[in-house]
Amino acid sequence: MSDTNAKITEEIRAKARELLSSGEIAAFLGFTSGSLPMTTRPFVAKRPGDADKLIWNSFCVMNLANYLPALLESLEPPRGPKDPPPAGPLPKVGVVATGCCSRNIVVQMQERQVDRSRLVILGVSSRGMVDRKKVMAAAEGREPLKVEEGGHTLKVSGRDYELEIDRWSAVRDNCLTCAHNNPVISDYLIGPVSNRDVKDRFAQIEAIEAMPANARWKWFTDEIASCIRCYACRNACPLCYCPTCFVDDSRPQWVGKSTEPADTALFHILRAFHCAGRCTDCGACESACPMGIKMRLFTRKLSKDAFNLFGAEAGLDPQAQPPLATYRPDDPEEFLIVEEKK
Amino acid sequence: MEDKNLQSGTNLAASPTANWEPRIVAFLCNWCSYAGADLAGVSRFQYPPNIRIIRVPCSGRVSANMILDALKAGADGVLVSGCHPGDCHYISGNLHARRRFGLLKNFLEFLGIEPGRINFSWVSASEGEQFSEVVKKVTGRVKALGPTRRLVKEIRID
Amino acid sequence: MNILRLDINGLLDCLSSWAGGQELYGPVKDGWRRISRDGLEAVVSIPPGAPKAPIKTFFLAQPETLFTFSARHGDDDAWIPTPPKEAPNRRVLFGVRPCDARSIALNSMPYRDDPYYQARMDKTAVVGLSCNETCSTCFCKSVGGSPYGTEGLDILLTKADGGFIAEVLTSKGEGLLEKGTGTPAGDGDMARLKALRDAAQAGTSDTQALSASFKAKNLMQLYNARLWQGLSEPCLNCGACTFLCPTCYCFDIQDEVVRQAGRRIRYWDSCMFPLFTLHASGHNPRGEKIKRVRNRFMHKLKYFTERFGALSCVGCGRCIRECPVNIDIREVIRDLLSVE
Repeated sequence: MSDTNAKITEEIRAKARELLSSGEIAAFLGFTSGSLPMTTRPFVAKRPGDADKLIWNSFCVMNLANYLPALLESLEPPRGPKDPPPAGPLPKVGVVATGCCSRNIVVQMQERQVDRSRLVILGVSSRGMVDRKKVMAAAEGREPLKVEEGGHTLKVSGRDYELEIDRWSAVRDNCLTCAHNNPVISDYLIGPVSNRDVKDRFAQIEAIEAMPANARWKWFTDEIASCIRCYACRNACPLCYCPTCFVDDSRPQWVGKSTEPADTALFHILRAFHCAGRCTDCGACESACPMGIKMRLFTRKLSKDAFNLFGAEAGLDPQAQPPLATYRPDDPEEFLIVEEKK
Repeated sequence: MEDKNLQSGTNLAASPTANWEPRIVAFLCNWCSYAGADLAGVSRFQYPPNIRIIRVPCSGRVSANMILDALKAGADGVLVSGCHPGDCHYISGNLHARRRFGLLKNFLEFLGIEPGRINFSWVSASEGEQFSEVVKKVTGRVKALGPTRRLVKEIRID
Repeated sequence: MNILRLDINGLLDCLSSWAGGQELYGPVKDGWRRISRDGLEAVVSIPPGAPKAPIKTFFLAQPETLFTFSARHGDDDAWIPTPPKEAPNRRVLFGVRPCDARSIALNSMPYRDDPYYQARMDKTAVVGLSCNETCSTCFCKSVGGSPYGTEGLDILLTKADGGFIAEVLTSKGEGLLEKGTGTPAGDGDMARLKALRDAAQAGTSDTQALSASFKAKNLMQLYNARLWQGLSEPCLNCGACTFLCPTCYCFDIQDEVVRQAGRRIRYWDSCMFPLFTLHASGHNPRGEKIKRVRNRFMHKLKYFTERFGALSCVGCGRCIRECPVNIDIREVIRDLLSVE
């Protein structure tokens, strides 16, 4: 573990222990180590002693905001669907949040999914999380049995090999173009603040836009061809909290249930479109996908347009409206057919 | 109107033959565009019989799900039409819809759906002639594209 | 049982004849691909461990069309089910790991009387490749399998001394090999095979021990164990584990009608999804995540074991590798066994 990560881990543990011991929070949401190299598990610490299991490293790829609404609800005293909310303050939750995770908390605040007064946010500036799949590719099919994180390198070793790769070369695509790696809201700031400067935030999207339509269609269909419809992308996403997802609607059934190409395509289009203007590009969908589909590019295109057309970036201001829940009289409408009165 | 292709169902995503006629689903808002279509009829403005009108309360009611469902079912094109900005019966339904449609159109084109498959327009209740012009334009665009293939769901029965 | 020795050219000849006479499939990269005569080299060297895509695709099609019908009023045969005309083609699956092969045998127990599954079984020959090298996520030995196991296979190939030892296990396997293929294995080959098997089993006590332990456990004690809460907390409730698992076989059935052509399909379902148990009334007996997570493991480890005698897990390690939040079934097994 690199020194920075070790220090951040220590500080997270200390703060979590302190908050749990003092009774300020009822649960602390962070990460604990996984059973394989380069894996971590989201973890809920409920006793001060659990705090020692918390860790911080470059493989904390899931977005913890995803767990917040359900975790907050689980801490409320049980009540019937028609009972009024309990009087008095409700138990609080502590959570570790990087730039994107904190932005997702802001989106959840805008959409009334979480109550800020019930959150204690430990902000951590992200150095960019590492994509396990990129490391695997660098190991050329050999199983990594141990991965050690240095300051700027990753030491990967297996049964009969050892290699050192540049950490930045294995960082996830979304982190490479992230402009908000510092938390936008937090109660405590942990670790060094990053001052990374990013250019060409949408370069990946521009490259696809430059392709002819047929090539784009081929890219899209090839990308989603291996989809098994496990919905890991949807379930890893902190924006997805509808009680009934559109894929589960049966009348009308928007999306068929098998892996028919048209159904898979519709699933990905509609899933991405539901995230339009709300996606913080946290990359959890891509990190969760067992098949390695780069579905982040779909939501990224929508973010780019929301930014260019409406000047909107998701999750920066708790008071702002999500861009698709509002309008301006002078919104662009060049795409419309308007016949002039003769 | 007796439509052979519609009756024979399975051939909706038909091959481009000489007499192929596109089928275009038109979502028209109750207060403006639907009335505009009505006026076009009453005023005897001719327009191609390729559109199938679905009346919706407001263009703001039309979701991406509906537009894509039409394409999945084999519609060669989709037209969504509502009131001009400022005229919405519900004050801002069309303005909210405008943002959504702009994103959706760009997004579908980004994924390789041909521009011209989905179309949006504003037509008021007094614009019967404009409505017929919009339908002519959309039908022309879709005809030029040929039958839809992408996003169409197929069930093969032996 | 017939044991042969094959050199690499002999194997390529076999593959070539299978690729020509029927459909040949093998693991290429992460998936199972149709192998043509020109692409045989792709399957000769297969990386250790099970490929990401499960073998069940070949037996539990995604989707399986049960029948088709016309939904056009006025048609003479409207709404009358027609069985699918196309019978599955004869095919050979090559390079199947013993864990995956064992999943075919395990799944065929609940699907014993299912005509669709059995039709696919009849048409499919399975040629296995034993694991001289395993992955850190492989645990077939602890759930009753072996890297040299033969269950569910028609032929098992074992790499040894620059060639292959081929154990022909069934008459279907015999039918795959033309006369004069390879040479009969000598005593040395037999000894080599036995040595490999013994070495693989060394250190593991009884391969059936785990299923016996689970059978002995009290069901309600496992069901009410405290560990489910912590275990389900990180779970996303996605279907990655179930859809990649070779022994997850649950399905749902639905009628689809598109432009007046209809079909009834059977497609993969997952107990991780709320819809899996949702009643028409709106009640959901497994409405919470914890209940769904519990069901997945209880089914694999307890219910299936009581009913069919073996764990519904072959130790391929796919779920461990691909779970987005690293829920590790080996830890679940360990923790459940310690429930008192």
